[in-house]
Amino acid sequence: MKEVFGRIFIHRREENWWMNLLVPITSIIIALIVGAIFIASTGRDPILAYKLMFGASGFVPGPYFKTHFAEMLLYTALFASTGLAFALPARAGLFSIGAEGQFLVGMITAAFFGFWKPLYNLPSFIHITIIFAIVILFGGLWGLIAGFLKAKKGINETIITIMLNWIAFHLIEGWLVPTGGPLAADVSTGVSGTPYVSPSARLPVILPGTRLNISILVMLLVIYLAWFLLYRTVFGYEIRAMGYTAITNMEAPKIGGVNTEKRIMQIMFMGGAIAALGGSFVVLGFLGQYPPVFEGGYGFDGIAVALIGGNEPVGILLSSMLIGGLRTGATAVQLARIPKTFPAIIEGLIVAFIALNELIRYLLSKVLLRKKEGVA
Amino acid sequence: MNWTFLINQSIAQILDFAAPILFAALGGVISENAGVVNIALEGIMRFAAFFGVWGAFVSKSPWVGLLWGIGIGALLGAFHAYITVKWAGDQIVSGVAINVVAAGGIRYFLEWIFKTTGYSPNVTYFGDPARLINLKFLENIPVLGAFAHLHIFIWLSLILVFVLHFLLYHTVLGLRIRAVGEYPLAAETLGVNVLRIKWFAVILGSIIAALGGVALSLGTMSSFVETGMAAGKGFIGLAAMIFGKWTPIGAMWATFLFASAQVLQFLLQAIAKGVATKIPVGFYLALPYILTIGALIGVVGKAVAPAADGVPYKKEG
Repeated sequence: MKEVFGRIFIHRREENWWMNLLVPITSIIIALIVGAIFIASTGRDPILAYKLMFGASGFVPGPYFKTHFAEMLLYTALFASTGLAFALPARAGLFSIGAEGQFLVGMITAAFFGFWKPLYNLPSFIHITIIFAIVILFGGLWGLIAGFLKAKKGINETIITIMLNWIAFHLIEGWLVPTGGPLAADVSTGVSGTPYVSPSARLPVILPGTRLNISILVMLLVIYLAWFLLYRTVFGYEIRAMGYTAITNMEAPKIGGVNTEKRIMQIMFMGGAIAALGGSFVVLGFLGQYPPVFEGGYGFDGIAVALIGGNEPVGILLSSMLIGGLRTGATAVQLARIPKTFPAIIEGLIVAFIALNELIRYLLSKVLLRKKEGVA
Repeated sequence: MNWTFLINQSIAQILDFAAPILFAALGGVISENAGVVNIALEGIMRFAAFFGVWGAFVSKSPWVGLLWGIGIGALLGAFHAYITVKWAGDQIVSGVAINVVAAGGIRYFLEWIFKTTGYSPNVTYFGDPARLINLKFLENIPVLGAFAHLHIFIWLSLILVFVLHFLLYHTVLGLRIRAVGEYPLAAETLGVNVLRIKWFAVILGSIIAALGGVALSLGTMSSFVETGMAAGKGFIGLAAMIFGKWTPIGAMWATFLFASAQVLQFLLQAIAKGVATKIPVGFYLALPYILTIGALIGVVGKAVAPAADGVPYKKEG
């Protein structure tokens, strides 16, 4: 147990390993307290707000628990995808903020191959497998653009991913999807956005009576693979070595025989593929099409998710569940006359206190370790 | 067609479009030269855009709005510095925190203070013809005519480029800032107070980025628009800063390149005839970003950040 937690929350074993678990939990609690003070100072009832938010978050049993639980896991799969898309390159010392665009690429790819006639009547299992494979390929290639330019030309990956986000957004929502665009539904059908995908492309529901589909299982597999890749393969070892020496331009691993150029391209491909997979969940899972306007943001939330999870696959699973739960409870807080973007404030505060981990670690060790010494 | 007018108009548009991005880029330049990455530029701009309008709304004076914007910028800068300098926290994490809080928090404020979603009411602003800096004698001169009727933020952004260039490369303080960003230990050994320099640079950088936010809501527009502020302009500023190799003048050229591409895109759409009208609008909108990538591939070599950029500095002992 100690070993497992140690591996999740820190890269080397320490004497007070439990501190690495306690620090994020304390951060979350403090963030909730600060959030409550904020609500109270704007003249609303914080206790009611939290009651509503957590009541509808899918964490605590109550009315409609099954529905909320299902929604929470659906969000978890989405946030985990963009979280990993940030975290994997980050482990190699790359700062990619391209998950937003990669997510959209995954959405439009899934929509197209969902309604494309030649595949339309395939058996569901084969159809979905084919779509996932193509989505992984296209999303990966979109991510690879930045990886290629970084590896071969030394161009900063941050700029390229920012630009690629906007290019993906404008090409999709300014060309492919609007009425008259190459992927838009025919006007006579009365559908705006792309046509709806074939029933065979819809992700099967695994919890009857809810929208919960196989996306969460797929994502659990991806998270396991990411963990395996990072900690059980030479590839992962080299990636982490590059991350540790990112500041010194990855010289050390290069001298040690790591083909850094190849690794950069591979990890950027993977990041793009995983984010795109998340995008395909949205289309195949609940929307059924690429809508005329998509309110995104999953890519940027993914950065927060990855950071709360410490860029660790298992940590990202936990943090995406947390953020997923907050989002599920978001609409309920409106009953307390609080805008539904309130959970985003909590999310930001958690990230802020995660950043302050040195302070929290200091305070905790002061309180807890002194007590321990006193007892001894 | 009146070419003088068209050219002047286009340049004026480029400058107007560039100003907020330029502020963000310059804020980043100052902060990162002292070794503190600030990806919160986007969030700071959003906060400042809102607080600027709030201040102007309460007081009916855009100057008060400007002060509120600067105030919130300083506050957020202090927050970022407290985390990253005082507690040597992760700079990316802290920046993301500000961005996330800005995304959700400002909407909360909008609904709480103005009881609206999406827009704030209109307030008095610097783009008002009466408040523009009018240099009528320039009006009919090609190129220079572009500067005849600009709002205060455009001038401020241009002046700031040279002020910051002078500060960084021709003053002792600038040398210290750069030393702290390149090799803090050496700077400390020579008696420079590394932490204080970092505090200063982070707060100054945030204030400058905040000016970009106020330029959006009280310069170009006269209200806060939920979806338009900062709508990625802070991140474009971040990109311009890297593109410009962490120098004020480089950041300026990068920003102008991007802004020109943006205005070119508008122009092309407006004058499109025949086959060109068949080109989907998405291509035009994507053009500035594609051109930026093209410029990066073609012209600019490898960008090298200050050596200790992003590395938390812990004082020994």
